Amino acid sequence: MVGNGDPRDGGIENGARLIRFATAVLGDDAGELKAAREDIAAVMGGAALTDTAAVAALFNAIDRVADATGIPLEDVKAEATADFRADIGIDAFAAADEKGHAA
Amino acid sequence: MTEISYQKLPWEVRDDITAAHRRAWQRLGQAGIWLTGAQRIAVAGETRTALDCQLCRDRKDALSPNAVQGSHDHTGQLSDLEVEQIHRIATDPGRLGRDWYEGLLASGMVEERYVETLGVIANIVAIDTFTHGLGLDPWPLPEARPGEPTRKRPAARRQLAWVPTLAPEDAIGTDDQDLYAGRPTAANIYQAMSLVPAAVKGFFDLVVNQYLPPQAMRDFDNEYRAINHAQIELVAGRVSALNQCVY
Repeated sequence: MVGNGDPRDGGIENGARLIRFATAVLGDDAGELKAAREDIAAVMGGAALTDTAAVAALFNAIDRVADATGIPLEDVKAEATADFRADIGIDAFAAADEKGHAA
Repeated sequence: MTEISYQKLPWEVRDDITAAHRRAWQRLGQAGIWLTGAQRIAVAGETRTALDCQLCRDRKDALSPNAVQGSHDHTGQLSDLEVEQIHRIATDPGRLGRDWYEGLLASGMVEERYVETLGVIANIVAIDTFTHGLGLDPWPLPEARPGEPTRKRPAARRQLAWVPTLAPEDAIGTDDQDLYAGRPTAANIYQAMSLVPAAVKGFFDLVVNQYLPPQAMRDFDNEYRAINHAQIELVAGRVSALNQCVY
């Protein structure tokens, strides 16, 4: 179980738990997903679990809307995030050249 | 008739999420703008079938999806072109490109059908991923209802994305101006499927309930969910990174 204040939280309370669940829900390991689910429910509560599942599921869908339409990121958002998008590797994604920001 | 309910789960699911999922299931079986109810159900079923497609698995593992040729494992209810669209969006969205999209068009894909199909895929992914995350089986698909598509096209133009979109200013004074009511600065993602306004309205019914309503997104003085803004964006960002989504 991951504790509060864990450096892996990235400064966000229970961040490591949430990342674990988001990773597991897109993965193929049913046991890991069950463990991640039970961990959030035990520590953060059932409502936090279902809201986390709702957000993860919604973004799994909205990513497809963006990628299948070629909709670009708004210029203002691209400029505001330019530094860390490069740092964390988003600019290296396969579609970055085509959909990184509005032409 | 499937009645979506999360009451048997040991964890509380907000009533607005349940209600949104029920509305989505009701819309799914109805005739749309370019697809019949039966075709919409077929798209939904194909979206699920794609997850077990061997060709899609092989392509996903390949350095380039174009390096692997073959046939999709499919339900047999849709054309090869529609199957290719659905499977690629369902299983490898991060590597979709303009060339792939234009290849579909050159092979006869109708853009309006492409966008409505995408809307169905998005609804299925949003709801199926939710049930999967909570350890539930996917809901049985609803029955198709009779009816013909209206085939009503808005004043959309190719301007923002690969697909034509309806700009907020172009919607003013048309039958579709309600699409942007309350959203004077509609984000690009909101405009993405505006070639089929009903697809936008349907999908964003899920967005505001599974994620946040527009007025809540930047209201950092208040929290609207059992996880806070930072936690919501962390989850969203992680999922998008795993999907290699640039947006």
